[in-house]
Amino acid sequence: MSRSYKLPKVSKGEKVFEIVNYIFLFLVISITLYPFLNVLAISLNDSTDTVRGSIYILPREFTLSNYFEILKYDNLVTGFINSVLRTVIGTVLGVFIQAMVAFTLSRNDFQGRKFVSTTIVLTMYFSGGLIPGYMLVRDLGLIDSFWVYILPGLVSAFNIIIIRSFMDGLPYSLQESAKMDGANDFVIFYRIILPLCKPVLATIALFVAVGQWNSWFDTYLYNSMNESLTTLQYELMKIMDNTSMGGSQDANMMRHNDEQVNRVSPQSIKMAITMVTVIPIICVYPFVQKYFIQGMTLGAVKQ
Amino acid sequence: MRLKKLKLGFILFFLLLVVACQDSGNETTNKSETTSDGLTTLTVFDSDANPDWVEEMETPVGKRIKEDTGVLLDPEFDIEGGQTKIPLMIASGDYPDMIVSKGADQLVDADALIDLAPLIDEHAPNLKKMLGEDGLNRLKWSEEDPSIYVLTTAPVDNEQITPSYGAWIQHAVVKELDYPKIRTLDDLKNVVKEYKELHPTIDGQKTIGLTMNTDSWRIQSSFLNSGFMMTGGSDDGEYYINPDTYEATLHYRRSIEKEVFKWWNEMNSEGLIDPEMFVQKNDQFEAKLASGRVLATIGPDYLMANPQQALREAGMEERMYGVYPVTLNEEFKNRSYQSNGLQVGWGISITKDCEDPVKAIKFLDYLASEETQIMLNWGIEGEHYEIKDGKRMIPEDEWEKRNSDKDYLKKTGIGFNFARFAPRYGDGVLDSTGQPFTTNTRELAIQNQTDTENEVLKAYGAELWKDLFPSAEEFPVKPWGAAYNISIPANSELQTINQRALDITKQLVPKATLADPSNFNVVWEEYMTALKNVNIDKAEDEYTELIRQKVELWSE
Amino acid sequence: MDLVTKKDITKKKSRLSVFWKGFKNQKMLYLMSIPFVAWVFVFNYLPVWGWTMAFQNYIPGKAFWEQEWVGLQHFIQLFQDERFFLALRNTLAMSFLGLLFGFTIPIIFAILLNEVRNSFFKRVTQTVTYLPHFVSWVVVAGIVTKMLSTDGGIINDLLVGMGILDQPYQFMADGKWFWGIVTVSDIWKEMGWNAIIFLAAIAGLDPQLYEAAKVDGANRFRQIWHITLPGIRPTILVVLILNIGHLIQIGFEKQMLLSNPLVIEYAEVLELYALNYGIGLGQFSYGTAIGIFNSVVSIVLLLLANGIFKRYSNQSVM
Repeated sequence: MSRSYKLPKVSKGEKVFEIVNYIFLFLVISITLYPFLNVLAISLNDSTDTVRGSIYILPREFTLSNYFEILKYDNLVTGFINSVLRTVIGTVLGVFIQAMVAFTLSRNDFQGRKFVSTTIVLTMYFSGGLIPGYMLVRDLGLIDSFWVYILPGLVSAFNIIIIRSFMDGLPYSLQESAKMDGANDFVIFYRIILPLCKPVLATIALFVAVGQWNSWFDTYLYNSMNESLTTLQYELMKIMDNTSMGGSQDANMMRHNDEQVNRVSPQSIKMAITMVTVIPIICVYPFVQKYFIQGMTLGAVKQ
Repeated sequence: MRLKKLKLGFILFFLLLVVACQDSGNETTNKSETTSDGLTTLTVFDSDANPDWVEEMETPVGKRIKEDTGVLLDPEFDIEGGQTKIPLMIASGDYPDMIVSKGADQLVDADALIDLAPLIDEHAPNLKKMLGEDGLNRLKWSEEDPSIYVLTTAPVDNEQITPSYGAWIQHAVVKELDYPKIRTLDDLKNVVKEYKELHPTIDGQKTIGLTMNTDSWRIQSSFLNSGFMMTGGSDDGEYYINPDTYEATLHYRRSIEKEVFKWWNEMNSEGLIDPEMFVQKNDQFEAKLASGRVLATIGPDYLMANPQQALREAGMEERMYGVYPVTLNEEFKNRSYQSNGLQVGWGISITKDCEDPVKAIKFLDYLASEETQIMLNWGIEGEHYEIKDGKRMIPEDEWEKRNSDKDYLKKTGIGFNFARFAPRYGDGVLDSTGQPFTTNTRELAIQNQTDTENEVLKAYGAELWKDLFPSAEEFPVKPWGAAYNISIPANSELQTINQRALDITKQLVPKATLADPSNFNVVWEEYMTALKNVNIDKAEDEYTELIRQKVELWSE
Repeated sequence: MDLVTKKDITKKKSRLSVFWKGFKNQKMLYLMSIPFVAWVFVFNYLPVWGWTMAFQNYIPGKAFWEQEWVGLQHFIQLFQDERFFLALRNTLAMSFLGLLFGFTIPIIFAILLNEVRNSFFKRVTQTVTYLPHFVSWVVVAGIVTKMLSTDGGIINDLLVGMGILDQPYQFMADGKWFWGIVTVSDIWKEMGWNAIIFLAAIAGLDPQLYEAAKVDGANRFRQIWHITLPGIRPTILVVLILNIGHLIQIGFEKQMLLSNPLVIEYAEVLELYALNYGIGLGQFSYGTAIGIFNSVVSIVLLLLANGIFKRYSNQSVM
């Protein structure tokens, strides 16, 4: 059980440490919360008024119109569905495969270990470039397809190495006893190792999910002509771009007077877009967080 | 536990099913095709964003265009100016029917575009009328290849209502100083100095004499451009083109411009410019202006729209800005209104993958016709405007909508939605009945000015800020157009040298400005030497050659 | 035990037959990994044909054999460019600072957070600190610039108020502060996010170890020193090795957004240089040459780091 339940004698030094620690972390919170509150405040502030600056953690002229401005765009619903789909599918498939490969690499007796790990790790440090990458995807017939969101990044070297380093810490004896019982390696991985890796799997799942949720460049490159495959981030990128061009002469050609030019300041809209991106992540977060923040108690269930 | 897994598996399976359905349901192609209602679909890639586009052209104007032409546009609006997508298109060889590009060199090198000259000659009377012999001549690609690959989408004979570059000074300043003459940089300096001494603070905050928006690329359009704008140069980007010899000089290398930057240096040493001028971001600049405590700034009009609007809405009319044609001394004139002639380089092209180029050119020609041009500006007769005594009038309530409804253009299809795909008549051009094509008229602009603005303008004997500026008639049309529109061959040394010169300039000109006045000459020499070291002479020669080729090609 | 027997066999039989025997025994492990090696081969290794661009004057749309081949010209140009070395210096300076602080502080933070007993406070702190990760650099750079402003910026107000400075100081205009500003901003933005990995590693430690330590009378510091730190050592080392490989690939966004004309000498980094002089000008070949340089240096660094750590700590990534 969690060690917070039985408190043995607490030394004076520890008490001081505890207090200092709380104060320190409280300071950290107040500093790191600021940018986020600032974004929130600006997103809720009247867009013209925002130009005057000096908005910190509270809006000066409260309004929701920046959010309505975003929501009026088409395709947001389709984009949202696709973003959720790619996040869920990409995360489940990605984490499973990465954990599986990591498992083989954690096995000191695996002959192909060196070859597999070297081949995979090196991919972190080079790239063929934009054009070859695009041509490959095209030749594989993945353009205009949902799978282009999932397949290219499925085997992430970084994640595999992190999972492997976690697995290295697990006692090998667990696997041996299962082997005695005649279980094959996949069964050992699936039945014994995987459940023990919850904290690291939750972390990796978070990384993959955030990556999937935030990416827009692949939609832009490969699926921009197909509205049914659009993603939320790409749609938001487009809105961002639309509001930024408010200043260009050509765009204003038909906007008839100063009254209309730049009615919407890009600032507030951009902040609202940031919020729309982040809010779903924040909502899902507590469900993931419990795995790596209270790992102790959950980890203890393993036996 | 097992049940939970089963559930998870089931959900995953369901999701995959949804995806499968989505994949198969929507096949898109890049090719033109005929839709069920007999319309020909033309795909078009546009390098610019368009917030007002409505799918299937389902707007009053869009529907009318469909009816008239039988064409349905299927556009893609890019968010990176075509910089990424056009090379990818070329590499893969898959083109849409039409491409709106910002410079078509790569496309032409890859033989992706078809020659529009014969098509225009045969099928496009309206384009011919709008552009004229001279305009069409300017569209020619090069001496060796006189084909027309790009049809410009710029406005023809445009004369902007708001001056595009000048010194912006608070109305309160000129009012209090009893409308002093503001013609030279020294006038500007004196005005700022005098007012700042009278009012060291404004609304309790320190008065800032003059600040500039120098955030990333904006430093070029505001601060660095002041070099030639203050010395009678016309905007040719980083180069100054000698109008007689067509010799190109990196504009900072003209000895006269040193005087301009020396003026900046003086302003700094006298404490008249904002110490944060080169550090602040765009929003800080805007916030300072909107707080009403910045007396003046110098720069292009589009950097002023946000703060002006914020001041207006906050009821701070006196703190809004007027724009004055300031130059180094009275020898020089502000050349904001000098005409470049027809702007070419950026525009629309038809690709070799287009199955029916005649249909495409006819569509573009339709957009350029007088009736369509009127429709794109005014809307549909009886719906968005009326004709009274032979004159186009926009009813009061429709005006109200135009001004207050953010989505007006999106709902009607008026404006840049379609006008962006073809050349168009600019502000001030009259149609066959003698009425302006666009709705941007003098009367309207005057009507929209604040009372303070009108008062100030009256004191200077003008109705519009434009009236203070030398008019287009005072200058010849530039025979090379605007130099920044001339494309530089890809993979050329010129390109690299230009980038280097820009990097050096961005670093050393601010340094010279902030230097101790006794040190200014040293830093400036350092700058000149640095430019020499990156072989700027060679770049200038090559640039001169490009300009001369253009002039020759266009004057045939 | 397993290992000993295997060594014995190796001596006796030929390598191939050993391989086959092992392969049969381990066919499941092969099945679980080789398909994914093939996978990265397709998605990551195949596109490397694009590196040939660095030896051409690549023009999109022309076929491979139609391109103009120029040999090492782009590399020579690169290594003769002063600006490239300036960018390299700045990149290395900022990445070392990042390694020194940006890497260690999240570890300390994770450990401190782990010592918090109040579960609610722990969760809130963790959530709040990871939020700035989702705020874009544009916004963070704007906030940093405003905080350091001489015109009502909070840092200057504080320093002047406390009497440390006589008058506001323009931190953003002084090149020697730039690397520090980037490093601190990066920590501010990414500390919570980067700490997650270490939190997870701590969460995976066996609670029985702590119980035993307590029975032995070890206080909190000793528990951290003897259990937590050694427990997450493998994770720390692995992340460290991977980061060393990334020393010259640190992105350009934060540097670009925090910089201004007065500090450009300290702000330009390799990836921005590649963008400005490569793709930005449509010069794919030059951009690719820079990319190759980056990759080669990265892989050499990785192999070095990997070798050193393997030797001295028995921890490696390959």
